[in-house]
Amino acid sequence: MHDHLKFSLPNDYNQQQLTGALADHYVIKKERPVLKRTAIYDTFDWRLFNKSFILYTSENKLFLRKLFKNTIIHSAVITSPPCFLWDFPDSELKERLSPVLKMRALLKLIELHSRLTAHRILNQDEKTVTRLVYEEIRPVRGKNAPVLATYLWLQPVKGYTKDYQNITKHLEETGFTALKKEDIYFKAMEAAGKSPGSYSSKLKIQLDPAMRSDEATKIILRYLLQIMKINEANLENDLDTEFLHDFRVATRRTRSALGQIKSVFPKNIASRFKKEFAFVGKLSNQLRDLDVYLLKEDAFKAILPPVLRDDIDPLFDYLRKNRSKALQNVIRSLKYKKYAQIMQNWESFLDEPVQDPPPASNANVPIINLARKRIYKQYRRIVKDGSRILENTEDEKLHALRIECKKLRYLMEFFSSLFPRKKISMLIAQLKTLQDNLGDFNDLCVQEIYLLNIAEDLPATHRKSKKAQVAIGSLIGTLDREKQIIKDAFAKTFTDYASSSNKRVFSELFASKQKETVP
Amino acid sequence: MTTLALYSNKGGVGKTSAAVNLSYLAAQAGAKTLICDLDPQSSATYYFRVKPKLKFGAKGFIKGGAQINKSIKGTDYENLDLLPADFTLRNLDAVFGKFKRPKERLSKILKPLKSEYDLVILDCPVTISILAENIFNAVEFILVPLIPTTLSVRTYKQLLSFCRKNKYDAGKIYAFFSMVDGRKKMHKELMAMMLKEFNGVLRSLIPYLSQIERMGIEREPVAAFAPGSVASKAYQNLWSKFQEAAFANPSI
Repeated sequence: MHDHLKFSLPNDYNQQQLTGALADHYVIKKERPVLKRTAIYDTFDWRLFNKSFILYTSENKLFLRKLFKNTIIHSAVITSPPCFLWDFPDSELKERLSPVLKMRALLKLIELHSRLTAHRILNQDEKTVTRLVYEEIRPVRGKNAPVLATYLWLQPVKGYTKDYQNITKHLEETGFTALKKEDIYFKAMEAAGKSPGSYSSKLKIQLDPAMRSDEATKIILRYLLQIMKINEANLENDLDTEFLHDFRVATRRTRSALGQIKSVFPKNIASRFKKEFAFVGKLSNQLRDLDVYLLKEDAFKAILPPVLRDDIDPLFDYLRKNRSKALQNVIRSLKYKKYAQIMQNWESFLDEPVQDPPPASNANVPIINLARKRIYKQYRRIVKDGSRILENTEDEKLHALRIECKKLRYLMEFFSSLFPRKKISMLIAQLKTLQDNLGDFNDLCVQEIYLLNIAEDLPATHRKSKKAQVAIGSLIGTLDREKQIIKDAFAKTFTDYASSSNKRVFSELFASKQKETVP
Repeated sequence: MTTLALYSNKGGVGKTSAAVNLSYLAAQAGAKTLICDLDPQSSATYYFRVKPKLKFGAKGFIKGGAQINKSIKGTDYENLDLLPADFTLRNLDAVFGKFKRPKERLSKILKPLKSEYDLVILDCPVTISILAENIFNAVEFILVPLIPTTLSVRTYKQLLSFCRKNKYDAGKIYAFFSMVDGRKKMHKELMAMMLKEFNGVLRSLIPYLSQIERMGIEREPVAAFAPGSVASKAYQNLWSKFQEAAFANPSI
């Protein structure tokens, strides 16, 4: 579908009008109408839409195009409806989408039913030189269903550019206008009752710098509660692993906010909810661990020597079996009275209006001041701790630093709307580089121990399990070497992060401006 | 990209009909296909209702690349393009001779098309000269229509011995029976003999049918204007027999 031109139709248009008008100039052969069904897909968090991609199926093919463009970027033959990237056939399409979709499941957003009537425009040899296709698109099958959109497509035939240009000109003169900034996608989403980009696990919170701190904090926490609720509602369907992941991240951020945005709520309330959200987090620890290992199945196999690759299957079979049990446990536990009570109490606390006199020392401080103070303090703490680690790199200290970095990251994300967007994004990106190093190191440490323990749990009755033990041993060996490489990279990563230029930006943005802004 | 030549060193044996129908069937099955009409008589071009004209004549053809691409025409069928013939192609032998490595010129010309098409089918003129050698060098498979007559068998033997002498891989040559008259005893006997004596002869035959001749009137592949007909089924059978023989996995 290259270079196809799409025209909108006049309001009182009917098909006879078009063919009648053209018949004066060209020989037209009308073909029998063809019905075509397409289905549009995206992930729950709109990963494709966010990158302006439209992914759709038609018959046994999967097509990728850009929003507002008709050109197909890639297509691939499929044998079953698309769900996970790893089920896609090896193709350019798969490669293109791999960094976008990652582990998220594709959901069918809507099915569209097109009725296409092609008119072949013939030259004097009765050779087709262009096709005019009249398309009626309906969200429901059937001739009487309401029409979502009607288009007229002009499709060139290779090698007959002149005819194509002539007909384009003719159509434009007859009052048809070429549509460029229109996409059926939006009408389709509207018909499906969906609003593209409506969910994202990223924090998009807009705060007013002069706002009371307790009020601003509640805005952040309410946003997180929404994310928790949305994902919780989808946990049971188990479409992919990321509903749980987003749920857990929102829980963790909630806990971090309660701890890091200090003294905005009465102490007993903050510490009570902190404890309760720790409890909520723990409910799904086991399930998340299993998800992480199962997601790594291919990566783990890839680092094993080829002779051992299949031997490790019993491990993943075992993990898969455990996962379905763990999932049931999580679903059950989220139906506990205790969980419901926590969430209910939490919501009513967040809905309470802020109190006067302020119930805690920072409660009515302007949020900009508190944000600056907290971020700057946390940043300096990280620089101090990290510098000490440079002298003596102990595993435990790296783990502790990782947690401190996470706290800083959350703070910067909570408050990003209060600072110049470019600068804060740059600082977050730099922090992320450091976090990646520390995170990878931590993952490898945890994985080693996990694999060692699981090796003991594997039923050691048959030969296959013994082979699996050997494979696990080999895997641990490779992970350990990798761990050392990452540990060695810490010094450079950290020094870059703690550079003097970075320090300057931090102090410029966050250091001691309280006096100017306090009213 | 798979490259296949419909070739014979004998005329009037059904090359063009086979090239036109097989390319149509392959395109219908989803392979992005190009049929190149190398025959200055331009019959394949005529069947697809395209004007027999290359943008830059034989000279442009020889240069290949963008000049060829500009001459390619979309046919009336999805996935199927045509490189039309041109009367100047009659001098192709002479023009090839002017180049260095004249026998590999056609390979060079076809090379840029690789990324665009899954299948390229050449409809070749009758030749056993330098153009024939270009064809042998350029394609992976050669498909030869055989009328089960003694003369036809004789020319087929000539082709095989030509390949042997000039060190062309006879393994890429496949033959099928064409214009077969089921009532003739001699046709049956010769077919049985050929199947026994030669490798690469496909168990597939295209009967002598007026429907196939009608292609000249309809100006369409018979598989397109009469998809359920005996002729169409015969070409379908030929296409699948060829794929079975040429590939372990019957899909191009």
